[in-house]
Amino acid sequence: MDKSSSPSLDRTDPAAGLLPTFAACLIALVVGFGFVYSATDRGRAFTTENLRRSEVARQPVSIPDFTVFDASGGKQSLRDLLTHGNRVWIVDFVYTRCQTVCSSLGTIYQQLQSEIVARGLQGRVGLLSISFDPANDRPASLRDYALRMRMHPEAWRIVSLDQTQDRRRLLDTFGIMVVPAPLGEFEHNAALHIIDREARLVRIVDTTEPGAALELALSR
Amino acid sequence: MRVAQRRRWLPAVVMVGGAALSLPPLRPLIEQSMVWHMLVQMPLLVLGGWLVAGHWWARQAPALLERFNRFGLTGFIVTTLIAGYWMIPSSIDRAVVMPATDMAKIITLWLCGAALRHSMQRAPLLVQLFFVGYTLPMTVWLGLYYATTDLRLCNAYSLESQFAAGKGLVVLGCAAGAVWLASLWQRQSQTAR
Repeated sequence: MDKSSSPSLDRTDPAAGLLPTFAACLIALVVGFGFVYSATDRGRAFTTENLRRSEVARQPVSIPDFTVFDASGGKQSLRDLLTHGNRVWIVDFVYTRCQTVCSSLGTIYQQLQSEIVARGLQGRVGLLSISFDPANDRPASLRDYALRMRMHPEAWRIVSLDQTQDRRRLLDTFGIMVVPAPLGEFEHNAALHIIDREARLVRIVDTTEPGAALELALSR
Repeated sequence: MRVAQRRRWLPAVVMVGGAALSLPPLRPLIEQSMVWHMLVQMPLLVLGGWLVAGHWWARQAPALLERFNRFGLTGFIVTTLIAGYWMIPSSIDRAVVMPATDMAKIITLWLCGAALRHSMQRAPLLVQLFFVGYTLPMTVWLGLYYATTDLRLCNAYSLESQFAAGKGLVVLGCAAGAVWLASLWQRQSQTAR
Protein backbone atom coordinates (compact mmCIF):
# COMPACT_ATOMS: atom_id res chain seq x y z
CA MET A 1 0.00 0.00 0.00
CA ASP A 2 1.46 3.29 -1.04
CA LYS A 3 1.37 5.55 1.99
CA SER A 4 2.41 8.88 0.54
CA SER A 5 2.47 11.53 3.23
CA SER A 6 3.47 15.18 3.59
CA PRO A 7 7.15 14.98 4.57
CA SER A 8 7.82 17.31 7.51
CA LEU A 9 4.49 17.40 9.32
CA ASP A 10 4.29 13.72 10.17
CA ARG A 11 7.57 13.51 11.94
CA THR A 12 6.70 16.19 14.46
CA ASP A 13 2.95 15.97 15.02
CA PRO A 14 0.85 13.49 13.01
CA ALA A 15 -2.41 15.17 13.97
CA ALA A 16 -1.38 18.57 12.57
CA GLY A 17 -1.57 17.31 9.02
CA LEU A 18 -5.14 16.21 9.52
CA LEU A 19 -6.75 19.66 9.66
CA PRO A 20 -7.28 20.02 5.91
CA THR A 21 -8.72 16.51 5.85
CA PHE A 22 -11.12 17.15 8.71
CA ALA A 23 -12.19 20.42 7.12
CA ALA A 24 -12.81 18.62 3.82
CA CYS A 25 -14.76 15.89 5.62
CA LEU A 26 -16.93 18.46 7.35
CA ILE A 27 -17.62 20.32 4.12
CA ALA A 28 -18.43 17.04 2.35
CA LEU A 29 -20.86 16.08 5.11
CA VAL A 30 -22.62 19.46 5.08
CA VAL A 31 -22.89 19.57 1.29
CA GLY A 32 -23.93 15.93 1.04
CA PHE A 33 -26.59 16.14 3.72
CA GLY A 34 -27.71 19.43 2.24
CA PHE A 35 -28.42 17.72 -1.08
CA VAL A 36 -30.24 14.85 0.62
CA TYR A 37 -32.20 17.30 2.77
CA SER A 38 -33.41 19.33 -0.18
CA ALA A 39 -34.14 16.29 -2.34
CA THR A 40 -36.27 14.61 0.31
CA ASP A 41 -38.40 17.57 1.46
CA ARG A 42 -36.37 18.08 4.60
CA GLY A 43 -35.81 14.38 5.20
CA ARG A 44 -39.47 13.45 5.16
CA ALA A 45 -40.17 12.07 1.69
CA PHE A 46 -37.86 9.46 0.19
CA THR A 47 -40.21 8.31 -2.53
CA THR A 48 -41.46 10.33 -5.47
CA GLU A 49 -45.01 9.53 -4.38
CA ASN A 50 -44.54 11.08 -0.94
CA LEU A 51 -42.82 14.09 -2.50
CA ARG A 52 -45.73 14.56 -4.87
CA ARG A 53 -48.21 14.43 -2.00
CA SER A 54 -46.40 16.88 0.24
CA GLU A 55 -45.86 19.27 -2.68
CA VAL A 56 -49.55 19.34 -3.50
CA ALA A 57 -50.45 19.88 0.15
CA ARG A 58 -48.18 22.93 0.16
CA GLN A 59 -49.13 24.33 -3.22
CA PRO A 60 -52.41 23.49 -4.98
CA VAL A 61 -52.14 22.67 -8.67
CA SER A 62 -54.57 24.09 -11.18
CA ILE A 63 -56.04 21.44 -13.46
CA PRO A 64 -55.55 22.36 -17.13
CA ASP A 65 -58.48 22.30 -19.46
CA PHE A 66 -58.96 19.16 -21.51
CA THR A 67 -61.84 17.90 -23.57
CA VAL A 68 -63.27 14.72 -22.11
CA PHE A 69 -66.15 12.46 -23.01
CA ASP A 70 -68.27 10.39 -20.67
CA ALA A 71 -70.00 7.02 -20.92
CA SER A 72 -72.78 8.48 -23.05
CA GLY A 73 -70.27 9.90 -25.53
CA GLY A 74 -71.07 13.50 -24.63
CA LYS A 75 -68.08 15.81 -24.77
CA GLN A 76 -67.30 18.63 -22.38
CA SER A 77 -64.42 20.52 -20.89
CA LEU A 78 -62.88 18.91 -17.81
CA ARG A 79 -62.76 22.24 -16.01
CA ASP A 80 -66.47 22.80 -16.71
CA LEU A 81 -67.24 19.36 -15.34
CA LEU A 82 -65.23 20.02 -12.19
CA THR A 83 -66.53 23.52 -11.49
CA HIS A 84 -70.17 22.93 -12.42
CA GLY A 85 -72.45 22.22 -9.49
CA ASN A 86 -70.13 23.65 -6.87
CA ARG A 87 -68.93 20.23 -5.69
CA VAL A 88 -65.64 18.99 -4.39
CA TRP A 89 -64.36 15.98 -6.33
CA ILE A 90 -62.42 12.87 -5.41
CA VAL A 91 -60.57 11.79 -8.55
CA ASP A 92 -58.74 8.60 -9.37
CA PHE A 93 -57.12 7.27 -12.52
CA VAL A 94 -58.18 4.00 -14.05
CA TYR A 95 -58.14 2.00 -17.23
CA THR A 96 -61.14 -0.18 -17.85
CA ARG A 97 -59.23 -3.28 -18.99
CA CYS A 98 -57.58 -3.59 -15.57
CA GLN A 99 -58.05 -6.95 -13.90
CA THR A 100 -55.76 -6.67 -10.94
CA VAL A 101 -54.92 -3.70 -8.73
CA CYS A 102 -57.74 -1.54 -10.02
CA SER A 103 -60.33 -3.90 -8.59
CA SER A 104 -59.32 -2.82 -5.11
CA LEU A 105 -59.56 0.82 -6.13
CA GLY A 106 -62.96 0.08 -7.67
CA THR A 107 -64.13 -1.48 -4.41
CA ILE A 108 -62.99 1.58 -2.49
CA TYR A 109 -64.95 3.83 -4.82
CA GLN A 110 -68.02 1.63 -4.48
CA GLN A 111 -67.77 1.99 -0.71
CA LEU A 112 -67.38 5.74 -1.05
CA GLN A 113 -70.36 5.85 -3.34
CA SER A 114 -72.57 3.95 -0.88
CA GLU A 115 -71.52 6.31 1.88
CA ILE A 116 -72.20 9.40 -0.21
CA VAL A 117 -75.61 8.14 -1.29
CA ALA A 118 -76.52 6.97 2.21
CA ARG A 119 -75.63 10.33 3.70
CA GLY A 120 -77.18 12.31 0.84
CA LEU A 121 -73.92 14.07 0.01
CA GLN A 122 -74.26 13.99 -3.78
CA GLY A 123 -74.59 17.75 -3.93
CA ARG A 124 -71.39 18.35 -2.03
CA VAL A 125 -68.97 15.62 -3.13
CA GLY A 126 -68.55 13.87 -6.44
CA LEU A 127 -66.47 10.84 -7.43
CA LEU A 128 -64.69 11.01 -10.75
CA SER A 129 -62.69 8.27 -12.44
CA ILE A 130 -60.50 9.44 -15.33
CA SER A 131 -59.19 6.91 -17.79
CA PHE A 132 -55.52 7.23 -18.66
CA ASP A 133 -55.92 4.86 -21.60
CA PRO A 134 -57.97 7.02 -23.97
CA ALA A 135 -56.89 4.96 -26.97
CA ASN A 136 -58.79 1.93 -25.68
CA ASP A 137 -61.34 3.47 -23.35
CA ARG A 138 -63.99 4.81 -25.73
CA PRO A 139 -67.64 5.42 -24.65
CA ALA A 140 -68.61 1.75 -24.95
CA SER A 141 -65.84 0.63 -22.58
CA LEU A 142 -66.77 3.39 -20.16
CA ARG A 143 -70.41 2.24 -20.24
CA ASP A 144 -69.39 -1.36 -19.51
CA TYR A 145 -67.16 -0.23 -16.68
CA ALA A 146 -69.93 1.94 -15.22
CA LEU A 147 -72.31 -1.03 -15.30
CA ARG A 148 -69.74 -3.39 -13.81
CA MET A 149 -69.00 -0.96 -10.99
CA ARG A 150 -72.67 -0.13 -10.47
CA MET A 151 -72.04 3.60 -10.75
CA HIS A 152 -74.79 6.04 -9.85
CA PRO A 153 -74.16 8.95 -12.23
CA GLU A 154 -75.17 11.62 -9.71
CA ALA A 155 -72.47 10.34 -7.31
CA TRP A 156 -69.78 8.71 -9.47
CA ARG A 157 -68.84 9.35 -13.06
CA ILE A 158 -66.19 8.12 -15.44
CA VAL A 159 -64.61 10.12 -18.28
CA SER A 160 -61.90 9.61 -20.85
CA LEU A 161 -59.70 12.07 -22.71
CA ASP A 162 -60.91 13.08 -26.16
CA GLN A 163 -57.42 13.81 -27.52
CA THR A 164 -54.85 11.05 -26.90
CA GLN A 165 -52.09 13.64 -27.02
CA ASP A 166 -53.50 15.32 -23.87
CA ARG A 167 -52.67 12.18 -21.89
CA ARG A 168 -49.07 13.16 -21.16
CA ARG A 169 -49.99 16.61 -19.84
CA LEU A 170 -52.83 15.23 -17.73
CA LEU A 171 -50.62 12.59 -16.12
CA ASP A 172 -47.82 15.13 -15.56
CA THR A 173 -50.20 17.60 -13.90
CA PHE A 174 -51.32 14.98 -11.43
CA GLY A 175 -47.91 13.35 -11.12
CA ILE A 176 -49.02 9.93 -12.27
CA MET A 177 -46.41 7.61 -13.78
CA VAL A 178 -47.62 4.63 -15.77
CA VAL A 179 -45.40 1.56 -16.07
CA PRO A 180 -46.30 -1.25 -18.47
CA ALA A 181 -46.85 -4.58 -16.74
CA PRO A 182 -47.18 -8.10 -18.13
CA LEU A 183 -50.31 -9.16 -20.03
CA GLY A 184 -50.98 -5.67 -21.35
CA GLU A 185 -51.68 -4.29 -17.91
CA PHE A 186 -50.33 -1.16 -16.27
CA GLU A 187 -48.84 -0.36 -12.91
CA HIS A 188 -49.33 3.20 -11.70
CA ASN A 189 -49.21 5.15 -8.47
CA ALA A 190 -52.85 5.07 -7.42
CA ALA A 191 -54.21 7.60 -4.94
CA LEU A 192 -57.31 9.64 -4.12
CA HIS A 193 -56.99 13.17 -5.50
CA ILE A 194 -59.08 15.90 -3.88
CA ILE A 195 -60.13 18.65 -6.32
CA ASP A 196 -61.73 21.78 -4.90
CA ARG A 197 -64.53 23.90 -6.38
CA GLU A 198 -62.07 25.96 -8.42
CA ALA A 199 -60.72 22.87 -10.18
CA ARG A 200 -57.48 22.86 -8.21
CA LEU A 201 -55.79 19.72 -6.94
CA VAL A 202 -55.45 20.45 -3.24
CA ARG A 203 -54.67 17.13 -1.54
CA ILE A 204 -53.62 13.61 -2.39
CA VAL A 205 -54.77 10.90 0.02
CA ASP A 206 -53.62 7.29 0.16
CA THR A 207 -56.08 4.68 -1.11
CA THR A 208 -55.97 3.02 2.30
CA GLU A 209 -57.77 6.03 3.81
CA PRO A 210 -60.97 6.67 1.84
CA GLY A 211 -62.77 7.83 4.97
CA ALA A 212 -60.18 10.53 5.53
CA ALA A 213 -60.46 11.57 1.90
CA LEU A 214 -64.23 11.94 2.21
CA GLU A 215 -63.95 14.01 5.38
CA LEU A 216 -61.33 16.22 3.74
CA ALA A 217 -63.59 16.73 0.73
CA LEU A 218 -66.52 17.64 2.95
CA SER A 219 -64.49 20.12 4.95
CA ARG A 220 -63.50 22.18 1.88
CA MET B 1 2.78 -5.82 -24.35
CA ARG B 2 -0.79 -6.86 -25.17
CA VAL B 3 -1.77 -6.98 -21.51
CA ALA B 4 -0.46 -3.45 -20.97
CA GLN B 5 -2.38 -2.20 -24.02
CA ARG B 6 -5.59 -3.81 -22.86
CA ARG B 7 -5.07 -2.31 -19.42
CA ARG B 8 -4.84 1.12 -20.97
CA TRP B 9 -8.22 1.20 -22.64
CA LEU B 10 -10.20 -0.97 -20.24
CA PRO B 11 -10.82 1.87 -17.73
CA ALA B 12 -12.13 4.16 -20.46
CA VAL B 13 -14.34 1.43 -21.90
CA VAL B 14 -15.91 0.68 -18.53
CA MET B 15 -16.44 4.37 -17.81
CA VAL B 16 -17.99 5.14 -21.18
CA GLY B 17 -19.93 1.88 -21.19
CA GLY B 18 -21.63 2.86 -17.97
CA ALA B 19 -22.57 6.24 -19.42
CA ALA B 20 -23.71 4.70 -22.71
CA LEU B 21 -26.48 2.87 -20.88
CA SER B 22 -28.16 6.24 -20.45
CA LEU B 23 -28.19 6.95 -24.17
CA PRO B 24 -30.75 6.03 -26.84
CA PRO B 25 -29.94 2.59 -28.14
CA LEU B 26 -29.46 1.18 -24.64
CA ARG B 27 -31.57 3.53 -22.56
CA PRO B 28 -34.76 1.39 -22.53
CA LEU B 29 -32.77 -1.17 -20.51
CA ILE B 30 -32.38 1.15 -17.56
CA GLU B 31 -35.80 2.73 -18.02
CA GLN B 32 -37.61 -0.57 -17.77
CA SER B 33 -35.53 -2.53 -15.29
CA MET B 34 -34.34 -1.43 -11.88
CA VAL B 35 -31.79 -4.25 -12.01
CA TRP B 36 -30.12 -2.75 -15.08
CA HIS B 37 -30.19 0.72 -13.56
CA MET B 38 -29.04 -0.02 -10.00
CA LEU B 39 -27.03 -3.19 -10.38
CA VAL B 40 -25.46 -2.81 -13.82
CA GLN B 41 -25.17 0.87 -14.67
CA MET B 42 -24.41 2.31 -11.25
CA PRO B 43 -21.70 -0.23 -10.35
CA LEU B 44 -20.24 0.15 -13.87
CA LEU B 45 -19.98 3.90 -13.41
CA VAL B 46 -18.32 3.51 -10.01
CA LEU B 47 -15.99 0.85 -11.39
CA GLY B 48 -15.17 3.13 -14.30
CA GLY B 49 -14.18 5.92 -11.92
CA TRP B 50 -12.18 3.44 -9.84
CA LEU B 51 -10.23 2.11 -12.84
CA VAL B 52 -9.57 5.50 -14.42
CA ALA B 53 -8.38 6.94 -11.11
CA GLY B 54 -6.12 3.92 -10.60
CA HIS B 55 -4.75 4.38 -14.09
CA TRP B 56 -4.13 8.14 -13.92
CA TRP B 57 -2.82 8.09 -10.38
CA ALA B 58 -0.82 4.90 -10.80
CA ARG B 59 2.46 6.47 -9.84
CA GLN B 60 1.62 9.54 -7.81
CA ALA B 61 -1.71 11.07 -6.94
CA PRO B 62 -1.78 14.88 -6.98
CA ALA B 63 -0.29 16.20 -3.73
CA LEU B 64 -3.25 18.51 -3.26
CA LEU B 65 -5.62 15.57 -2.95
CA GLU B 66 -3.28 13.95 -0.50
CA ARG B 67 -3.56 16.92 1.89
CA PHE B 68 -7.32 16.68 1.99
CA ASN B 69 -7.64 12.93 2.06
CA ARG B 70 -5.30 11.77 4.80
CA PHE B 71 -5.97 8.16 5.69
CA GLY B 72 -8.67 8.16 3.03
CA LEU B 73 -11.19 9.74 5.38
CA THR B 74 -12.68 12.36 3.07
CA GLY B 75 -12.86 9.98 0.12
CA PHE B 76 -14.81 7.41 2.12
CA ILE B 77 -17.27 10.03 3.31
CA VAL B 78 -17.74 11.35 -0.23
CA THR B 79 -18.23 7.81 -1.55
CA THR B 80 -20.84 6.97 1.09
CA LEU B 81 -22.76 10.21 0.54
CA ILE B 82 -22.85 9.88 -3.24
CA ALA B 83 -23.80 6.20 -3.24
CA GLY B 84 -26.37 6.82 -0.52
CA TYR B 85 -27.96 9.66 -2.47
CA TRP B 86 -28.44 7.50 -5.54
CA MET B 87 -30.06 4.74 -3.54
CA ILE B 88 -32.94 7.02 -2.52
CA PRO B 89 -36.00 5.98 -4.56
CA SER B 90 -36.93 9.52 -5.59
CA SER B 91 -33.40 10.11 -6.91
CA ILE B 92 -33.63 6.99 -9.05
CA ASP B 93 -36.98 8.17 -10.42
CA ARG B 94 -35.56 11.58 -11.18
CA ALA B 95 -32.60 10.09 -13.03
CA VAL B 96 -34.97 8.07 -15.22
CA VAL B 97 -37.21 11.01 -16.03
CA MET B 98 -34.87 14.02 -16.14
CA PRO B 99 -31.78 13.98 -18.38
CA ALA B 100 -30.04 16.65 -16.30
CA THR B 101 -30.31 14.48 -13.20
CA ASP B 102 -29.09 11.49 -15.18
CA MET B 103 -26.03 13.44 -16.26
CA ALA B 104 -25.40 14.46 -12.66
CA LYS B 105 -25.72 10.81 -11.65
CA ILE B 106 -23.14 9.69 -14.19
CA ILE B 107 -20.61 12.34 -13.21
CA THR B 108 -21.02 11.95 -9.46
CA LEU B 109 -20.78 8.15 -9.63
CA TRP B 110 -17.57 8.45 -11.65
CA LEU B 111 -16.24 10.76 -8.92
CA CYS B 112 -17.46 8.29 -6.33
CA GLY B 113 -15.37 5.51 -7.87
CA ALA B 114 -12.33 7.76 -8.11
CA ALA B 115 -12.69 8.88 -4.49
CA LEU B 116 -13.06 5.26 -3.40
CA ARG B 117 -9.87 4.27 -5.23
CA HIS B 118 -7.90 7.16 -3.78
CA SER B 119 -9.06 6.35 -0.28
CA MET B 120 -8.55 2.61 -0.51
CA GLN B 121 -4.98 3.24 -1.60
CA ARG B 122 -4.11 5.15 1.57
CA ALA B 123 -6.51 4.09 4.30
CA PRO B 124 -5.20 2.05 7.22
CA LEU B 125 -7.02 -1.19 7.91
CA LEU B 126 -9.09 0.26 10.73
CA VAL B 127 -10.44 3.11 8.60
CA GLN B 128 -11.25 0.68 5.80
CA LEU B 129 -13.05 -1.51 8.29
CA PHE B 130 -15.19 1.38 9.50
CA PHE B 131 -16.14 2.29 5.97
CA VAL B 132 -16.82 -1.24 4.79
CA GLY B 133 -18.53 -2.11 8.06
CA TYR B 134 -20.94 0.77 7.53
CA THR B 135 -21.68 0.79 3.82
CA LEU B 136 -21.97 -2.92 3.12
CA PRO B 137 -24.52 -3.69 5.85
CA MET B 138 -26.40 -0.56 4.78
CA THR B 139 -26.48 -1.87 1.19
CA VAL B 140 -27.61 -5.31 2.28
CA TRP B 141 -30.30 -3.85 4.56
CA LEU B 142 -31.56 -1.61 1.76
CA GLY B 143 -31.60 -4.58 -0.61
CA LEU B 144 -33.62 -6.63 1.86
CA TYR B 145 -36.08 -3.77 2.24
CA TYR B 146 -36.48 -3.38 -1.52
CA ALA B 147 -36.94 -7.13 -1.86
CA THR B 148 -39.58 -7.53 0.82
CA THR B 149 -41.70 -4.39 1.08
CA ASP B 150 -45.17 -4.29 -0.50
CA LEU B 151 -44.84 -0.60 -1.12
CA ARG B 152 -43.77 0.33 -4.64
CA LEU B 153 -40.97 2.78 -3.87
CA CYS B 154 -40.12 4.01 -7.34
CA ASN B 155 -42.89 5.37 -9.53
CA ALA B 156 -40.82 4.47 -12.57
CA TYR B 157 -40.41 0.77 -11.87
CA SER B 158 -42.75 -2.15 -11.29
CA LEU B 159 -42.86 -4.01 -8.02
CA GLU B 160 -41.34 -7.05 -9.73
CA SER B 161 -38.38 -4.99 -10.80
CA GLN B 162 -38.02 -3.69 -7.28
CA PHE B 163 -37.95 -7.19 -5.80
CA ALA B 164 -35.29 -8.30 -8.27
CA ALA B 165 -33.20 -5.20 -7.62
CA GLY B 166 -33.45 -5.77 -3.88
CA LYS B 167 -32.23 -9.34 -4.10
CA GLY B 168 -29.45 -8.23 -6.42
CA LEU B 169 -28.38 -5.52 -3.98
CA VAL B 170 -28.03 -8.10 -1.22
CA VAL B 171 -25.85 -10.24 -3.50
CA LEU B 172 -23.83 -7.19 -4.56
CA GLY B 173 -23.24 -6.15 -0.96
CA CYS B 174 -22.09 -9.62 0.04
CA ALA B 175 -19.91 -9.95 -3.05
CA ALA B 176 -18.25 -6.59 -2.39
CA GLY B 177 -17.56 -7.72 1.16
CA ALA B 178 -16.03 -10.94 -0.10
CA VAL B 179 -13.84 -9.07 -2.58
CA TRP B 180 -12.59 -6.74 0.14
CA LEU B 181 -11.81 -9.63 2.49
CA ALA B 182 -10.00 -11.39 -0.34
CA SER B 183 -7.89 -8.29 -0.98
CA LEU B 184 -6.99 -8.14 2.73
CA TRP B 185 -6.03 -11.81 2.70
CA GLN B 186 -3.94 -11.27 -0.40
CA ARG B 187 -2.14 -8.32 1.19
CA GLN B 188 -1.66 -10.31 4.39
CA SER B 189 -0.04 -13.19 2.56
CA GLN B 190 2.14 -10.75 0.60
CA THR B 191 3.48 -9.06 3.74
CA ALA B 192 3.97 -12.45 5.37
CA ARG B 193 6.38 -13.32 2.60
